[in-house]
Amino acid sequence: MKSFLLKIWGHYVRLTARWPSIGSIVPFIPLIAAWWIVTALQIFPSVFLPGPVEVARSFGNLVYTGVLPEYLQDSMVRLAVGTFWGIALGIPLGILVGLSPRAHTALWPPLLFFQAIGDIAWLPILVIWFGYGLTTMTVIIVYTVIFPVVLNTVLGVRSIPINMHRAALSLGASRARLLWEVVLPGALPNIITGLRNGLGYGWRALIATEIIVGTSGIGFLMFDARRAGSVVEILLGMIILGILWYIVDGWILAPIERATGQRWGLVTR
Amino acid sequence: MTRHWLSSALWFCAPFAVLIVLWAVLIPYFNVNPRLFPHITSVVQAGIEGIQDGSLIQHIGASLLRVLVGTVLALLVAIPLGVAMGVSPVVSSFLTPPFRFFSVLAGIAWIPIATLWFGYGFGAITFVIFNAVFFIVTYNTLLGVSTIPLHVRNAAASLGAGPWAMLTEVLLPGALPNIVTGVRTGLGFAWRGLIAAEMIATNVGLGYMLFVARDFYKTEVIVLGMIVIGVLWLLLDRLLLAPIERATIERWGMVQPA
Repeated sequence: MKSFLLKIWGHYVRLTARWPSIGSIVPFIPLIAAWWIVTALQIFPSVFLPGPVEVARSFGNLVYTGVLPEYLQDSMVRLAVGTFWGIALGIPLGILVGLSPRAHTALWPPLLFFQAIGDIAWLPILVIWFGYGLTTMTVIIVYTVIFPVVLNTVLGVRSIPINMHRAALSLGASRARLLWEVVLPGALPNIITGLRNGLGYGWRALIATEIIVGTSGIGFLMFDARRAGSVVEILLGMIILGILWYIVDGWILAPIERATGQRWGLVTR
Repeated sequence: MTRHWLSSALWFCAPFAVLIVLWAVLIPYFNVNPRLFPHITSVVQAGIEGIQDGSLIQHIGASLLRVLVGTVLALLVAIPLGVAMGVSPVVSSFLTPPFRFFSVLAGIAWIPIATLWFGYGFGAITFVIFNAVFFIVTYNTLLGVSTIPLHVRNAAASLGAGPWAMLTEVLLPGALPNIVTGVRTGLGFAWRGLIAAEMIATNVGLGYMLFVARDFYKTEVIVLGMIVIGVLWLLLDRLLLAPIERATIERWGMVQPA
């Protein structure tokens, strides 16, 4: 029996070595099985904890009626627009603060403070300014994404040894080329890390905003279900959020981060 | 040394002085409707009133208590669990994906179901904070323990370290930098989750204070709340968490041999 189990484990290890994505899916099978058993035994009332079958059925329903694809699209579009502006504003600002000591003394402390206020705390006053709607959500996501990007860009720019600047300048590089070929590549690994953190926070901010002021989106789906007391859809929303972020973070952002780190990371000796 | 510290503190405060002056001058100058953005005097007044009638202190106290209870409970469970799971490479490689999945969900996404399970109030909010801290700290502890080089553990074992010495002298110190980073990240999510949860699910706390003020267009209370939230987090993060993180990494961080 034991050797049989070991053999299976050996196959599994070899399989995951060849296709790492299998290794990140298989561990969920016993988890789902445990969930199914707990709900089938009625340990908790099914109103409080519905089983995987019901959640899958509600997934089918919501996809069939078109609610889920629409909400999903709404959430993703909001996140994409917010992230775009966060990057477009954050990187130039970060480079400015990183390169100019004067800008650094003037802007660094307020940046830290406004980051500390946190996205959600802006929600009440933004609702007063812009009402319930897309503007409020976009502002919140931009606000959330921009700070990690700026702070990390500053760190990245300042971590480039001054001799690199001098070498490029003495080889006859213009200011623009210095920016393009020394500063940006040198700061890129940090910028990507900042972007990854920023998206992590922005994602949560989006959910919170949709819960509180939303009229559509995954967060709204969950809170609407909560109002109706339907745990099935709340669980479905949580699972979708988890899977989406798992894909975005694990299969897109983390590899990009690793690749830039390898390609442009400064090897300090 | 003291002078240096003093002058850098002054430089840190200088931009805020400029911002405050701008605020004090520009808002009356352009005659901004106080329903859109408050005068600085009315914010100060709201602060003084809040302290005098005790409501501000009560809100801050409630928020901090929730964070404290949730975090301490989470750490008590997360660190032993993370170490236990990280010891075996088989278990840790198998459990890493689920824990990553849940640490992704951490915080705000739990609010709807927390309010359903625990009702509106202390339980639901503490549960949200517990979740935000628990999964991230467990995941980081797991990661920290499983990245301790095996030869370090073998060396300790062959020098005669028992399970207890192994735990306190190898596993915990080795994972400590990761654990502390996890606590800092987790608290960052927990703090935001707290504000969001208080807006939805309670009748006391900073988030609630902001959200109720919005109903009456009391922008001075909103701005006051935002400043309090920012200052509290800045103090917590910069004066407590960041120094601890730096100290542990300097003291116990793995120094890669060249």
